[in-house]
Amino acid sequence: MASASIPAYNSIPLENSSSQNASNESLKMEPLADVALLPGEERVIDKDIIYICPFNGALKGKVFITNFRLYFKSDGDHVVVLDVPLGAISRVEKMGGASSRGENSYGLDITCKDMRNLRFALKQEGHSRRDIFEILFRYAFPLSHGLPLFAYLSQEKFDENGWHVYKPMEEYRRQGLPTDKWRISFINEDYKLCDTYPTILVVPFKATEDDLQKVATFRSRCRIPVLSWINKENQAVIVRCSQPLVGMSGKRNKDDERYLEMIREANGTTKLTIFDARPNVNAVANKATGGGYEGDDAYQNAELVFLDIHNIHVMRESLKKLKDIVYPNVEEAHWLSSLESTHWLEHIKLVLSGAIQVADKVSSGNSVVVHCSDGWDRTAQLTSLAMLMLDSHYRTLRGFQVLLEKEWIGFGHKFASRIGHGDKNHADQDRSPIFLQFIDCVWQMTKQFPTAFEFNERLLMVILDHLYSCRFGTFLYNCENVRDNNLLRTKTVSLWSLVNSDTSSFINPFYTEESSRVLYPVASMRHLELWVTYYIRWNPRIRQQQQSPVEQRYRELLALRDQYLKKLQELQLSDSSPSTHLSNSSTPSAASPTQHITRLQTPF
Amino acid sequence: MEFSEHIKTANVDDVVLKQPFHAPMKGTLCVTGHHLLFSDRSGDSSWQLLLLLRNIDAIEKSVENLLGYSSTGSNIRPVGSSGTITIKCKDLCILQLDIPGMEECLNVARSIEALSSLDNVTEMYPYFYRPSWLSLDDQWGLSTLEKHYDQLGALQVKWRLSNANSDFSVCPSYPPAVIVPQSVDDQMLVKAARFRQGGRFPVLSYYHQKNGMVILRSSQPLTGANRKRCKEDELFLQAVMDGSERAYIIDTRSAQQAQQARMTGGGFESKSCYNSWKRLHRHMERGKVLQESLIKLVEACGDQSHSMDRWLSKLENSKWLSHVHSALSTAGLVAECVERDGHSVLVHGSEGTDTTLLVCTLAQLILDPESRTLKGFLSLLEREWVQAGHPFQLRCAHSAYSHTRLRQEAPVFLLLLDCVWQLGRQFPLALELGEPLLLRLAREAYASDFGTFLCNNEQERCVLEVKDRTHCLFQFLLRSSEREHYVNPLYEPTDLAIWPSVQPQSLHLWTGLFLRWSDHTQTMEEVREEIWSIVTQHCGRG
Repeated sequence: MASASIPAYNSIPLENSSSQNASNESLKMEPLADVALLPGEERVIDKDIIYICPFNGALKGKVFITNFRLYFKSDGDHVVVLDVPLGAISRVEKMGGASSRGENSYGLDITCKDMRNLRFALKQEGHSRRDIFEILFRYAFPLSHGLPLFAYLSQEKFDENGWHVYKPMEEYRRQGLPTDKWRISFINEDYKLCDTYPTILVVPFKATEDDLQKVATFRSRCRIPVLSWINKENQAVIVRCSQPLVGMSGKRNKDDERYLEMIREANGTTKLTIFDARPNVNAVANKATGGGYEGDDAYQNAELVFLDIHNIHVMRESLKKLKDIVYPNVEEAHWLSSLESTHWLEHIKLVLSGAIQVADKVSSGNSVVVHCSDGWDRTAQLTSLAMLMLDSHYRTLRGFQVLLEKEWIGFGHKFASRIGHGDKNHADQDRSPIFLQFIDCVWQMTKQFPTAFEFNERLLMVILDHLYSCRFGTFLYNCENVRDNNLLRTKTVSLWSLVNSDTSSFINPFYTEESSRVLYPVASMRHLELWVTYYIRWNPRIRQQQQSPVEQRYRELLALRDQYLKKLQELQLSDSSPSTHLSNSSTPSAASPTQHITRLQTPF
Repeated sequence: MEFSEHIKTANVDDVVLKQPFHAPMKGTLCVTGHHLLFSDRSGDSSWQLLLLLRNIDAIEKSVENLLGYSSTGSNIRPVGSSGTITIKCKDLCILQLDIPGMEECLNVARSIEALSSLDNVTEMYPYFYRPSWLSLDDQWGLSTLEKHYDQLGALQVKWRLSNANSDFSVCPSYPPAVIVPQSVDDQMLVKAARFRQGGRFPVLSYYHQKNGMVILRSSQPLTGANRKRCKEDELFLQAVMDGSERAYIIDTRSAQQAQQARMTGGGFESKSCYNSWKRLHRHMERGKVLQESLIKLVEACGDQSHSMDRWLSKLENSKWLSHVHSALSTAGLVAECVERDGHSVLVHGSEGTDTTLLVCTLAQLILDPESRTLKGFLSLLEREWVQAGHPFQLRCAHSAYSHTRLRQEAPVFLLLLDCVWQLGRQFPLALELGEPLLLRLAREAYASDFGTFLCNNEQERCVLEVKDRTHCLFQFLLRSSEREHYVNPLYEPTDLAIWPSVQPQSLHLWTGLFLRWSDHTQTMEEVREEIWSIVTQHCGRG
C-alpha cells in the first residue's frame, strides 16, 4: 500500500495529497539502474539540469544524451525518469536569456512529435546551455548536419529478420494472383515508370507495357492505377492511383479511359466506382494545378464518389488543436465540446466511413478505384483500412505487418516528409499525421471488434513510437527507390525484427479467427472515442487502464486457450465420433492455474 | 378491479411489429392484464414478444382513416383504416405496431395507457408472477441487518444493533433494525431522530475493518432559521468520534443550498455545535435536474441523423457525465477520508434517500473487496438501497420518454449503475459482476417480474406483504443457472482499494445501456459471449 498514489478528489482538505504521483510519469521506468544503452548507442554528454515537469514542478536531476536518446533521471526519493528517443523531437529552442529574471527561466524548450513537450532549466552562469543545446540540435536532427540516422548506427541483433516479413510475390500469390485477368508486371523494376511505386505491380492482363507507359503520362507523378487487393470470391478488386491530369481545359486521355475500362471488365462490374478521397471542391480546385478528377463523359461506365476527407494541412492543424487540449493540462471544464472543436474524431469518422464504402462495394462484387491527389496519403488510408475490413489475414500480427509494408511503405507514403525524420525544419508544411490517423482508425476497429484482431493496442503504440524513433529502418524515407539507394534493408534493422522475435506481448488473447468475416465498424460519432491511452499517456492523472495486471491476466488466458485448443485437437484426433461436444469432455487438467497470478497492483 | 375492464380488444390479427434487430413481422397481438404479446405463429408456439406493460414509458398513436369501404361477408368495415402505435419502453427500446383497423388500434392504445400506469402496487405483475421454478416459500432477500451485524465481529465492541424502529415509528423509511454506537441508547436515538428530516438519524453504513473507521449516513438536521440545536444529536455524533480528534461530514449540497435549506426547516451541522466534525460541501444534482439530464441524454442518443450532428456537444449538454463525475469524485473523497486519512465520515444531503445512498454505496465499492463480488454487490444494494429506503416506487415510475408531468422521478439508481459500470471499465479485473448484471438491474428497477424494487421502503413492503406474495430478484440472480450470465469472466479479486480516475477523459458514455438498441451493441454481446466461453470453459470458473 505504501506506493499507492491516490488521486486528489477536487480540492481536498487532506494534506500531502498528490506528491506521490511523480513516479508514474514515465512509461519506461528504470528505477535505479543506469541507462541500458542499445548496441551502437553512444553517450555524448551528461549534465546536471532541472526538468520543469508540468505535473510535479521543477525536478533536479541529471540528463544523459546519447546519439539515440535523451534520458533524464531526477534526484530524490520519488524518481522521475524521461526516456525520449531523439527522433521524437521536432523542435529545440532556447528559453529565456542570460539576463532573464525569475526562477528556472533560462533553459531549453523541446517540442516532441509524440504529443508532449519538455522544458529544462539550467544555471544562468557561463553559457551553461550552449553545449547541450548544440548537441541536442545536432543529434536530434542528424540529416540537417550531414550525420546518419541512428538506424544506420544501431548494432542490434534479433532472432528474426523482419525484412523478410513482406515478399510482394508471396503476398500476391496468397491473394490468388496472377489470374487470367490480372498479371504481374516488372515494368517498374528500375523505378523508370514511376519512381515512387514499388518494383512489382499488378495490372490488367490485357494492358500492355506500352499502355502502362501511356497511362502514366496522364496520372499525377506517374502513379498509374494498379491492383492492391482482389476478392477471391467475386474477383472484385481495389485499385489505387493518383488523380488524372485533367487540368483547366478538361483534357482527356484515351489510354487512361481504356485502361479503366479493362479494370471494370475484368470481373464484369457494371459500373466501376471511382472513390475520390477529397472533398468535391478540392478536386475541382486541383484542376488549376493540372490535376482533377474523372469526368462523366470521359468515363461513362464509371461513377465518381467524393469522400470528403480533408488534406494533410487540415489534419496537421486538427492534431495540433488536440495536443493543445491534452498537453500538458487536460481541458476539463468543457472536455467534450473542446474535443469536438478539434474535429479530430470527425476526421477519423470520415476516413473510416470512406473505407467502409470501399469495402462494401468490393464485397458486393464491384471493382473500385481509389485515389486522392497524389495517391500516397488518403489513398493509402482508404485502401489499407478497406483491406483490413475485407481480409482477415491482415488482422493477424504478421498480416498487419504485410499490410503496412505493402500499402504504406511499398506504395510510397512519404514517411520522411510527413514525419520529418532527422530534419530540423519543424515548420515544414509537408509534415502531417496521416499515418497516426490511420493507426487511430485501426485502434477504433480493435475497440469495436475486440476478438477480431490477433494483435493488441501495445503493438499499435510500439509502431507509433518507432514511427518517430529512427531506431529501425522500417519507416524511413519516402519510397522504395530511395530506400534501395540508401541500402536501407541491408544496413538497418526492421521494426518487425523486434516485434516478431518476441510476439507474446503483442498478442490479443481474445483473438478468435473468423476467416471469411467482413468487418464493418460503426463510423458514427457515437461509437468513436478518443484514444486516451495514446494521446494522453504522458499525464499521470489519466488512468493507464492498469496495463500490467490486465495483460498479466490476458497472458494467462492466452496460455489457457492454447492449452485448451491443443486438447481439443487431441480429442478430435482420438475421438471417432465427431459429435462429442466440448462441454461434455471434462477438462480436469485445467485445474486452477489462475492461482499463481500476481495480485492486482495498486492503481497507477 | 378487473383488468378486463381495461381491455376492449384483446386480440388483433395481421399486426406488423417493428423492433430493433428484427425484420418487420406480421402476426397476432394480444393484450393481457400485464403483458403485450405478439406471435407470428410460425412453427413453434413461442412468443416473439412478451412485453411487460409496466415497462412501457410512453406510447404515441397515429391513425389514418383512408376512404374506401368493401363488403366482405356481412360486415362492412373500413379496410383502409389503420393505425400505428409507437411504444417507448423504460429500458429505452422503441417498438412500433402497425394495427389494421382504427378502432382496434385505439382500443389497444387505450388499454396500454391504462394498464401500464396502474398505481396500486398489489395489482402489479410481481403479485401474479408464479413460475414453476420459484416458490413463495423460498428465502426472500439475501440478508438482514441483524445477520449483517452478526458477521461483523470486530464492530460489535463499539456498535450495537438497535430495534428501536421495529414498528417503524422512529423512522418510517428505515428498516426495523439499525446499527448505532454502543453508547447511544434508544431513548437518545428517538430524540435525535426528531431532529433529522424524516427521522433519518445517523446510522452505520460501512465499517472499515482495516482501521475501524466508519461511514454513517443520515438526513439533514432540522436546525431551521433560528439555529435549533439538539443535544442528543450532538452527543450521538460525539459518540461516533470515540476519542479521535476529527471526523468529516460530507454534505452533498453546496454550502449555499445548505444555508437555504434552513429557511424550510432544514439545515446543517454548525461548527460551533459539532466542533470536531469538519463539514465539506460537494454539490450533487438530484431530482428533477437529474431526470432532465437523462431525458436530454436519451434524446441525443436516439437522434439517428447521420449528419455532422455535434454529438459530443449534445452529450456534454446533457450533463449526464458530469453527474457521473460528481458522484464518483464525492465517493472518492469519502473513501479517501476513511482509508487514507483514517477518519470517520457522515454523509447526508437533505432527505438522505438519494445522493446520500449513491455516495455511500460507491465509497464502499472503492474500499471493500467483499462488495465487489456478485453476492456482495447485491447484498450492498439490498442493504443500502432497498432496506435503506430509496423510494424506488417514486423515482422509477417513469423513465426518459414519458410525456406525463414528472412528479418525483429521478434516475439516481441508474446513475449508480452507470458509476459502477465506469468502475468496471477502469478496473476490468476488480469487479466480479459484469455489465449484463448492471443492464438487468437497470431494467428491473423500472419494470420487473420480481418484488424487490416495489414500494419505497420496508414499512410499505411490510404492509403490502411483498416478501410473502412476490419473488425476490436478488435470490433469483444468484441461482447457479442465472449467475453465470452476470459474472465478469476476467474477475480477479484484489484486497486493495480501487481509486477511480474522475478526469472527464476517463469517464465514458455507457454505450451498453444508452446505445443498447443500435447495431453495435449486438456485436458487443457476441464478443462478451466469446470471451466468456474462452475463459470459463478453459478455467473451470463460473
